[in-house]
Amino acid sequence: MNIGIGGAGSKLASMASDRECTIINVSELELSKVEAKSKLLAVTHSAKGQLRGSGKNPMIGREAFSSVGQKIMDIIKDNVVFSSTGGGTGNGMTSILLEKLSNQEDSIPLDERTVFVFVLPYLNREATEYVENTIEFLGGPVSASIDSGNTGNIILFSNKLKFEGRIPESEYNKMIVDSLNSFLGIPVKGEMYRLLDGHIDFEDFDLFKSKPYFNHFTQFQWNPDEPFENQLRHNFNSLLLPPERAIEAMFLLELPDPSLTSKFYDILDYFAADNIPPVYGVVHNPEITQPQITVSLLYSRKPREIVDDFKRISDKYTRNRIKKSLEQHVVLQNRKLDKINEARRLVEESGNNTGDVLGFLKRIGKL
Amino acid sequence: MLNELLENQILNLKKPHFHILYWTAMAEEKGVLYNITNIFDDLKFIKATRTKQSAVAYVEALASLCFITINSESNRKNIYITKYGARALEYLLSKQIYKTEKSLFLEVSK
Repeated sequence: MNIGIGGAGSKLASMASDRECTIINVSELELSKVEAKSKLLAVTHSAKGQLRGSGKNPMIGREAFSSVGQKIMDIIKDNVVFSSTGGGTGNGMTSILLEKLSNQEDSIPLDERTVFVFVLPYLNREATEYVENTIEFLGGPVSASIDSGNTGNIILFSNKLKFEGRIPESEYNKMIVDSLNSFLGIPVKGEMYRLLDGHIDFEDFDLFKSKPYFNHFTQFQWNPDEPFENQLRHNFNSLLLPPERAIEAMFLLELPDPSLTSKFYDILDYFAADNIPPVYGVVHNPEITQPQITVSLLYSRKPREIVDDFKRISDKYTRNRIKKSLEQHVVLQNRKLDKINEARRLVEESGNNTGDVLGFLKRIGKL
Repeated sequence: MLNELLENQILNLKKPHFHILYWTAMAEEKGVLYNITNIFDDLKFIKATRTKQSAVAYVEALASLCFITINSESNRKNIYITKYGARALEYLLSKQIYKTEKSLFLEVSK
């Protein structure tokens, strides 16, 4: 069962699993906004957090983790966790989760590893806090978990296309979910359609997704007469961060016509040239008219390099913001409210209200 | 005989003693708690002393003369003027022996 942490993660988990998921949040109100089979309310001491979520403060998420931590650790095994990297609850709670996985003394068995789906902010359009939280997140917990090798695939979606294409959030979430399902559907199709060559069963697929690398997957219509390399390069998944040089690969080729089967060797040649023997399957899908391929590339670009990219672009925008604010700089008069100095001024003014004091002492019977 | 003693005691009070009595009465009038630390700050402000020991000595002298009482309340030693202290203050004010100065603490806590 999918697990969604925080507002954005919950929406995605719910959509991806048709509400058969567990969602976690610090705010009851936020939990009530998303339909899910199971809901976990994490306890935060922040009144604002209880009412409206963590905002952009990951510390609230981190503090709240302990109240539901053990439960989360139990349910994430062999499941998919969805979270955004910019917000408070998702970032904070997932950070602790990744740290706990990284610090496990024994290596986590392959069949218990968790796939993480993260949604990264788009630097050009989203709040600085989101970007800064993401930098901390990628450089810290994600980096450590990759080094520990205790997670499954890590899938990095970006909000770039959402903002550039002016796509409404619900529609964009659906695009993410459809894209993810195209990858997760590989073994289902492998079982469902007649096999023409190779084979990807659930066991192969589970082994592939339990590897601690970043996963870039894409699905496109394949033209057997064009070099595969060009087609792949032009069809990278624009919802995901672009991949680096692959370490491992998997593809499922669906052919409407079995006579095209021999053409798939061109694809194998492409991967062989890079010394990547892929896991693959070729099936006959009579429901389609054009050959379709789903490719997944595992790459191990170090999170530090992704962080550097984020920082570089973030710095550029920060500089622009500072420049803009300097251009709009208005000199404001410096006004100080200094109670002590004001009191000193009053004290220095001579004044005698001794009569009042004596009158008071008489009134209270001391004189 | 006793009146003569009281008069001598009052006339031997120094400027800091006088101000402690004066400010204590003022604080009571304002309904503000006034403690030894406030007294030290105020005496320092009017340049009557630079050390807390002296401030404590002035307060203790007034307490020994029964001009003030020191009550320990919530970890603070608050000062209250007694009937004798009130009479001493009235006497000193009537003779205009010292010029009154305002308390910094009481001004801030207005």
